[in-house]
Amino acid sequence: MEFWRKIMNIDRRWVYLLIALSVTFPMIVVIKFPVEVTPVARQLYDAIDKLPDSSVVMLTFDYYPNAAAETEPMSIAALHHMFKKDMRVVTLSNIPLGGPTIAERITREIAAEYDKVYGVDYVNLGYKANYNAVMHGLANSIESIFPSDYTNTPLKDLPLMDSVKNYDDIGFIYVVADNATVDYWIQIVNAQYGVPIGSGVTAVVAPKMYSFVNSGQMTGLLGGMKGAAEYEKMVGEEGKAIRGMDAQSMAHLAIIFLVILGNIGFFATRKKEGKES
Amino acid sequence: MKKTVPVVVAFLAGFVMVISFFFNTEQIMNWLSVTFGMDSLHGKTMEGFVLQWVTIVSGFTLVLGVFSIVRVNARAVAKKSEGWFYKLLTVVSVFAMAIPAMLPVSKDTVGGKIVFGIFPDSWRALFGTGPTSIYDWLFTYLDQPMMETMFAMLAFFIASAAYRAFRARNAEATLLLLTAVIVMLWRVPMGEAFLRLFSDSLPNYIDLFIMNGFNVAVQRGIIIGAALGAASMSLRIMLGIERTYMGKG
Amino acid sequence: MVIFTSVNKRQMSTILRISILALLFIMAFSISAFAQTVDESVFRLDRFTVLIFVLVFSSAVLLYTNWARKGKELFVRKIPGIDAVEEAVGRATEMGKPVLFIPGISDVEDIETIAGLSILGRVAKITARYDTPLSVPVRYPMILAAGQEVVEQAYIEVGKADAYDRDMVKYVAGEQFAFTATVNGWMMRERPAANIYMGAFFAESLLLAESGNAAGAIQIAGTARPEQLPFFIAACDYTLMGEELYAASSYLSREPLLLGGIKGQDFVKVIIIICIIIGVLLVSFNIGDWFVNIFRVM
Repeated sequence: MEFWRKIMNIDRRWVYLLIALSVTFPMIVVIKFPVEVTPVARQLYDAIDKLPDSSVVMLTFDYYPNAAAETEPMSIAALHHMFKKDMRVVTLSNIPLGGPTIAERITREIAAEYDKVYGVDYVNLGYKANYNAVMHGLANSIESIFPSDYTNTPLKDLPLMDSVKNYDDIGFIYVVADNATVDYWIQIVNAQYGVPIGSGVTAVVAPKMYSFVNSGQMTGLLGGMKGAAEYEKMVGEEGKAIRGMDAQSMAHLAIIFLVILGNIGFFATRKKEGKES
Repeated sequence: MKKTVPVVVAFLAGFVMVISFFFNTEQIMNWLSVTFGMDSLHGKTMEGFVLQWVTIVSGFTLVLGVFSIVRVNARAVAKKSEGWFYKLLTVVSVFAMAIPAMLPVSKDTVGGKIVFGIFPDSWRALFGTGPTSIYDWLFTYLDQPMMETMFAMLAFFIASAAYRAFRARNAEATLLLLTAVIVMLWRVPMGEAFLRLFSDSLPNYIDLFIMNGFNVAVQRGIIIGAALGAASMSLRIMLGIERTYMGKG
Repeated sequence: MVIFTSVNKRQMSTILRISILALLFIMAFSISAFAQTVDESVFRLDRFTVLIFVLVFSSAVLLYTNWARKGKELFVRKIPGIDAVEEAVGRATEMGKPVLFIPGISDVEDIETIAGLSILGRVAKITARYDTPLSVPVRYPMILAAGQEVVEQAYIEVGKADAYDRDMVKYVAGEQFAFTATVNGWMMRERPAANIYMGAFFAESLLLAESGNAAGAIQIAGTARPEQLPFFIAACDYTLMGEELYAASSYLSREPLLLGGIKGQDFVKVIIIICIIIGVLLVSFNIGDWFVNIFRVM
């Protein structure tokens, strides 16, 4: 009984230690369970896949660097998919802290693997303050909001932007976000301008997005690192997400173990207290 | 005046945004520019003006923040109160990132001529926010890892919160606990493989009934309720009924 | 526009307010009718349904507000989280510990932040009355300015202007996790007895709530972000969900005008529920397309 009481009131640092061990264990013993694809992830993949090759897709980097573990693999997998299909990619970010820098680094890295040329096959518009003004403004004219790209090159000097003037020239918007920005893309851009939108979000935000997928306002959804792993599997490019699934699996199992342990202790102490009273 | 002007500004700004949703304000502005000969209005939208003002005012308030952080921490440093060294570090960090980022990278401007009169030309790459700048280095090698570390702490905090909160105290708590365990299993390959031992379709049923069923219903209820609450609050603010946020009762 | 100020509010009837709104719409429509360059309709007919909804919603809110002003008794159910605020502040006073209030970590353009600031005003009145130290860390400079005004006014209204210190509301950091780390550190050092989180929160919600729990504080949270609610529910003693956050300020003040707003939005919610039920029935029998199309907006 005393044992269960101690278990119920265990110092939280033992819990932290268990989680730390469960996350580091798969680094030593690689298990690799197969990743199964969910219908919503398949929907997003198909939406991009069905676009004609050489379509223009807008890929947004609306996440802070702290969520990069979940969202960066999504962006990387998306770029692989788009460049494999010879799509032209326009990237931008509504997050001032890190978004455009991450976009610049990742797109250049992935584009180099496919011999894509900056300004012809892809452009990074960078960041502009006030997402409301940006999202509404892009409907009229991209150049009115972004007169130059992230590297301060005027848009008129970039051949890709000759044929991409506003949302009418964009086939799909792929939002990768860790915050409410994806809500604004749906409320402003999809609802008011009818541009199809799909998104990859962190696992915390994903449950909310199911209602938008269900209502048809969003075409497809990736949720957390599992979603990124699903997309990597579909694209055929194993990356950090698939490799991270083992650690996430062990962490989930550790939490389930703790929950079960806590409940056994709860019932054991309650039963004993009932008998004593 | 002090009470009236903010209410009037709130009403006008809100009214312009509402009008912009229902009317093509660019057409209205074009008509006004033709009728009254005001060329500067041509091609503009009403909401564009409001959004521009928001951006300008936001920019000025950044200065307020810097004053506040310096004043609060400098006072503690001067008094040598507890933890004064960390407060000094805070103030130094603010300027260490801001000053190099604001320095010009080109000699063509007036500021550039002054700065590169003092510093050697080879230091140009260190200024501004480019890939080789001090700002970028501090962000990539200090700020970013610290942000990622804080975010990673969530994993530990979730475990301790789940351990404490997921107890089958009553029927609702039991339902919460069971749903959480099922979804935690479903969301990882190892757990999904375990669920498939019972039935190959079990993960699909979880997706269908829990994520696309109960979850969507609850999320929609909360989203609709919150949206109505927000709309009601916005209307009260626009009409000047709710003024507590201004500090007026 | 002076008709909307507190000076002339008593003279304003609800019908007059609605008439003025309708008149302004008609004026805008008339301008568009006389516009010389009209290639397409200036009035967006595809959003007509939304206009009807906005007018119905506004009318409901204003009607209930008017009834409340005339003294009609309006029932609002108990919200335990809000009732607990005074109890929490009382606990802090007894323990001689401060109250921590965070009005969300979003900027002033987020309506949740405005709701948070409104609640801050009410909470500041309680802390002023009990002479309880209050700490309000903020993430954005605009919130700093607004928060200082709100708290100062609250202390003045309670007659404790001398007790007000502008550094009660302090700008901590502009970055989400820098803000969280600073607040967590302060919580572990100062051990506030009551933590009140009211506004928009993101990933840091659990970090704040767990640290507050470890510090032994009673915690009351309120947010309209559905994705953060589970964390607050797991780690806090009381949680206000969704619109309860927007109702909190009205609930705390018990001002009839504000309570009328809550009743108005509840009326509209009933209309939405009826529309959902009608829609589900019609679509189930395959005759609902026309009904669904009424609500489509482009």
